[in-house]
Amino acid sequence: MREQPLNNDTMHPVLAELPEFEPGADLWPRILAAHERKRRGVRHPRRIAAFAAAAAAIVAAILIVPRTAEVPKLSDGQRESQSLEREWQALPSASARAASDVARLHVIDTALQAAYDRGARADELQPLWQQRNQALRGLIMSARSDAVTRI
Amino acid sequence: MTSQPAPRSRSGFGQELDRITLERARRGDADACAAIYRRYATACFNLALRILGERAAAEDVVQEVFLKMMNTLSGFRGDAPFGVWLKRMTANATIDALRATQRFAAEDPETVFASMASRGAEADQRVDAWSLLMRLPARARAVLVLHELEGYTHKELSELFGQSESYSKSILARALKKLSGAGEPIKAEGELATCASNL
Repeated sequence: MREQPLNNDTMHPVLAELPEFEPGADLWPRILAAHERKRRGVRHPRRIAAFAAAAAAIVAAILIVPRTAEVPKLSDGQRESQSLEREWQALPSASARAASDVARLHVIDTALQAAYDRGARADELQPLWQQRNQALRGLIMSARSDAVTRI
Repeated sequence: MTSQPAPRSRSGFGQELDRITLERARRGDADACAAIYRRYATACFNLALRILGERAAAEDVVQEVFLKMMNTLSGFRGDAPFGVWLKRMTANATIDALRATQRFAAEDPETVFASMASRGAEADQRVDAWSLLMRLPARARAVLVLHELEGYTHKELSELFGQSESYSKSILARALKKLSGAGEPIKAEGELATCASNL
């Protein structure tokens, strides 16, 4: 540390006379006890903190990430469904052939409602919306086909 | 005056530590840690005591240093001798303790001396040297002890205290003057009083 070696020229004589004291005999046992306490005390909070962090990450992964990632897709499905439904409602009354498609639409609607009731995730809801849209497209095609046949 | 170069540190920090003990301590061996304590505890304690002036506070520093040592020894790379590494930890912990407590008024040196087992020179000389040291403000003591006894350079002191090199040079000069009895009492000097209050 020092650039030049220490010697009596650089050290004040008073400092050379300073006494040297010993720490208390019980200090080392106290340090060991504190070390052990710290080791035990730290281990558990660390585990708890790690568990809490992992739990928070899982909750965030389930609740936040999928929602933010998949909400646009679900909204698209819903939006498309509303659009298709309006288009279907505007067409002339469905034929008897379309009755089975209407029944299928009701089944899908019931499944969708049940899924929402049990708090289903977006990835469960999305296929149902796609099925509903497919059913609506079938109904629209049937209605258009009937209209052409009548003309 | 001697022509023989003295060890860089006059305290027990200059003692060497054998590699086997160090490796055992690194692996958490309690006996090896105890051996390190026996070798360096007195040096740690005296460095802290000479600056803090209180036995309990110095023991707290020793405890903190050895707890930290046991927790960080695995990361000790051996770039510097072990004693130097431990001395830095002790100096830092002591200065932190000084800053935290804002304690500058030392105990009565006679009481401190009487309560402690000591070794070395004659008792009368020890009381005189100790009394003189304790008359200095805490920061002046720190500069004096670290520079004169532990071999800190002014550059290192400036980093430790967050001040310029000329600042620690000034404090050291005044402290040495005070010890010689040739100067005005340091506590009366505005600059050092301000230094102390800044700790």
